[in-house]
Amino acid sequence: MSAYLDTRVSLYAGRLWRDEALDALVGAPDTVIADTLMQRGLPQLAAGFIHPTDRQDARSLEQRIIAQILDETRVLIRPLSGDSRSFLTFWTARFEISNVKTLLRSKMTGERPAAVLARLTPMGAFNRLDNQDLAHAEDVNELLRRLEAGPYAGIVRHARRAFEQSHDPFSLDAALDHGYYEGLTLRAQPLESTVGAPFRGLMANLVDRINLVWLLRYRFNYRLPPAQVYYLLIGSHYSLPGARLQELAALDSLEAVLAALPPVWRTPLSDAIDIPDVFARMERLAARQAQQVLLSRAPDIARAFAYLILRERDLRAVRALLRGRHLGLADGEIRQALQRSPAETA
Amino acid sequence: MLRTEPLLRMQLLLLATEAQDAALALARFGVFNPAPCSLDVLAESPAAAYREAWLEAEARLSKLLEQCGDTGPLQLPDDAEAPSLVDLQELNGWLKDVWTACLACHESDVQITEARSHLDALEDTLAKLERLNVDLAHLLRADSLLAFNIGSLPVTGLKRVTEALAMTGHLVTRFDQVGEQVFAVIAGPRARHDEVRGLLAQAGWRELPVPDELRTHPQAARAWLEAERARMDAQSGAACQVMDGLRDRFGPRLHEARMRLALARPLAEAALASVRGRGGLTSLSGWIPRQQLDALRDTLDARFHGRYWLDLREPSPDENADVPSLMRYPSWLKPFVPLVKSYGVPRYGEFDPALPFALTYLLLFGAMFGDVGHGAVILLLAAALHRRLGRMAWVGIAAGAVSMLFGLFYGSIFGYEDIIEPLWLSPLHDPVRVLTVAVAFGVGFIVFTLMVNARNKWMSGQIGAALFDSTGLAGLVFYLGAVGVLASLAGAADVAQPAWLLAGLGISMVAAFKWFEARAGLGERILVTAIETLETAINLFSNTLSFMRVAAFSLNHVALSLAVFTLANGLDASGHWVTILLGNIVIIVLEGGIVAIQALRLMYYEGFSRFFSADGREFAPLRLESNLRG
Repeated sequence: MSAYLDTRVSLYAGRLWRDEALDALVGAPDTVIADTLMQRGLPQLAAGFIHPTDRQDARSLEQRIIAQILDETRVLIRPLSGDSRSFLTFWTARFEISNVKTLLRSKMTGERPAAVLARLTPMGAFNRLDNQDLAHAEDVNELLRRLEAGPYAGIVRHARRAFEQSHDPFSLDAALDHGYYEGLTLRAQPLESTVGAPFRGLMANLVDRINLVWLLRYRFNYRLPPAQVYYLLIGSHYSLPGARLQELAALDSLEAVLAALPPVWRTPLSDAIDIPDVFARMERLAARQAQQVLLSRAPDIARAFAYLILRERDLRAVRALLRGRHLGLADGEIRQALQRSPAETA
Repeated sequence: MLRTEPLLRMQLLLLATEAQDAALALARFGVFNPAPCSLDVLAESPAAAYREAWLEAEARLSKLLEQCGDTGPLQLPDDAEAPSLVDLQELNGWLKDVWTACLACHESDVQITEARSHLDALEDTLAKLERLNVDLAHLLRADSLLAFNIGSLPVTGLKRVTEALAMTGHLVTRFDQVGEQVFAVIAGPRARHDEVRGLLAQAGWRELPVPDELRTHPQAARAWLEAERARMDAQSGAACQVMDGLRDRFGPRLHEARMRLALARPLAEAALASVRGRGGLTSLSGWIPRQQLDALRDTLDARFHGRYWLDLREPSPDENADVPSLMRYPSWLKPFVPLVKSYGVPRYGEFDPALPFALTYLLLFGAMFGDVGHGAVILLLAAALHRRLGRMAWVGIAAGAVSMLFGLFYGSIFGYEDIIEPLWLSPLHDPVRVLTVAVAFGVGFIVFTLMVNARNKWMSGQIGAALFDSTGLAGLVFYLGAVGVLASLAGAADVAQPAWLLAGLGISMVAAFKWFEARAGLGERILVTAIETLETAINLFSNTLSFMRVAAFSLNHVALSLAVFTLANGLDASGHWVTILLGNIVIIVLEGGIVAIQALRLMYYEGFSRFFSADGREFAPLRLESNLRG
């Protein structure tokens, strides 16, 4: 089992983009881009790039990218069982949670079922919701009740109570995100003890990044009180545990928060100028760490998780590139959007 | 029966206003498989709105039927017409109104249930507070420095809420738990109470309202609570009138809605891909059996009196992969079809292996499990369980019968070899002959599969592969030559010289074909040709030997019986017969199961994999009763 997954991850790792290769693609002609996408194991994106108006396959770029990630996760999950399988399966569930949010928003705006169904991400083998049924719910309350009878009952029940109290779409989104990541950390815990440091490092990076960015966004963009901000963060036992998050949430400015971070985050983030900059820097660090795990002799599930983190980052960059070209943006603007030019990551 | 039925690609052009009736007529016709339209000039999807309205109405109807139960069997009159888009939207609007009323009632019911549970909690709370001798009026005073909240929240969030509230100087004290709800009192400085409102809402906190009467006159509490409960009951009764009277009030109209939606289903289903249009013109595209063409024209003439244009053509060879496969089978063969389909559906124009599969599978099973007694048990069991097994029971009955027939050939009954004389041979006494017959059968089977594969390739336009590939005629020539050589070496025939020539000719043609097919540099081309040619020979040889298992299992059957007899003979009379009984049960269950799987394995891997592409699409006609969802 382990040999299969290790070999599969190593083979897949060859498809990842080095920053230089992605940078070279920015100014390349269309035919080179289509060929490169094929070579990198992205036939679905290549097909969409060559035939953007294919009537048989009307999926959006975003949907094609997620379909690619799901396809690869399905292959990686094949030899896994128990906690590892449960963790990677739940890792894909965030796309379905995103579908749930789309459905809820559509009910709030009165969007027609057919229109919202076309926007949902097809989950393929990971599909756990009856989207047809959910899209035809009459209103938010009926939809929430139907969701409560499904696989995400725990997450949705809490979100419904929050929504009933405030009728604020933000409460719904925040409760769904919070519930999902609490579930993910719960599923990661048994693996952290059995797989060890490489996996724990990846999870720590992910949870710290989400917590810090949420904290900054809720506190300084949405102006929520510290106690509410703390409540909305994920329960963490990594570099930013509960007590530290309470201290950070009570601070009054971005600079003060960054200065109060533990050394592991303070150094790389000390001169960050805004929240997107904080996110980009933390993501680059996460990618570097995932790269190290991928190239190491870490246990197979840690390497598989590292690969998926890197692959998703790559595909987001490809999406930015393709969308930039589609909109006719200048190469420099596309490079800026990628935020991973060789100079930046050196 | 041995090939898929010839189909015609049809395009029906007619007025857009008659599209729903055309789809209904085609659904009633029963053999129209919708397929995407290939005409680029028809760029519009005129039935998209129809499908959308149908889906919405169908979803609402199914929810309403869930509430009020089935409205009875549905009879669709032969002359009933499908609703127009306007009719469908009107129906959808009515269903929406009824369902919204139901939903409001349901929502109100849920709220009343929750309010009742809160009243219960409030009563408990008051009882507890009375025991604590707490002055509620003082505690809940609006001008107090401390703010108190009594309410509930999910137990999973309690720890996090407690930590978060501590940041604002608030304390949380839980005093009860009902299911997953924790009841608690939150106390904190009134000046900072605004800070926690958002947090409490986010945490799903539900306040227990404490009315003034309860604060000042505890003895009035029970009366107030009783009055509140009575008010809830009255509200509940009023709210549920819609729900309770749903069937009585709307039953006939819901039944009518069911019928209209059933009539609208064909166009809604076909709209997914097959319906295109432009302006006032609509086109329905798909496949129909060539034999049904006249019947189709009659159906359309009767309904549209010439107001249509029917374009028909044969499928081109390069679209074979997209043409659905329509197979018709006699009823005795149908039970075997699921076993073929579990491997795959024949591609259009491909040889349909269902008939040879059924015959060969039974033959192999009987040869490997030949016993009159065991076969009779399987036959009787399958017959007894036919209600539960459905059509598959006939496979068991046929397998049992063939097993009995081979039992007569082998002279075996419940493992006893000396009760009846073998009509042909006893495997235990002539194992070499049994092995030879099994291999000879394998040779015949492989020759058959190579011929079928050559035919399939030829029909699909791959002439080169049909003639020269290792699974085509060249492979067959090599195989026959190789068999002749081996037979000559074994002394069974004297055809060595022509057989060598035949084998040499066949393998040379295969090698030449592989050489021309390989698209690579010289070195790689030589390597690919050499390895693939060698693989051809090895595969055919090993596949032939694979059929020795047929003989091996027939010997295994006798050997297992001997083992049972040896054990039984060492015991007293009662032990003897118990052992014989249990031994026979084990043989039937264990060996019978293994032989059934082995026969299937031989068919799939030595047979189907050689000629059956199995990547066809089943013919899925538009029907009135089909399922649209998904």
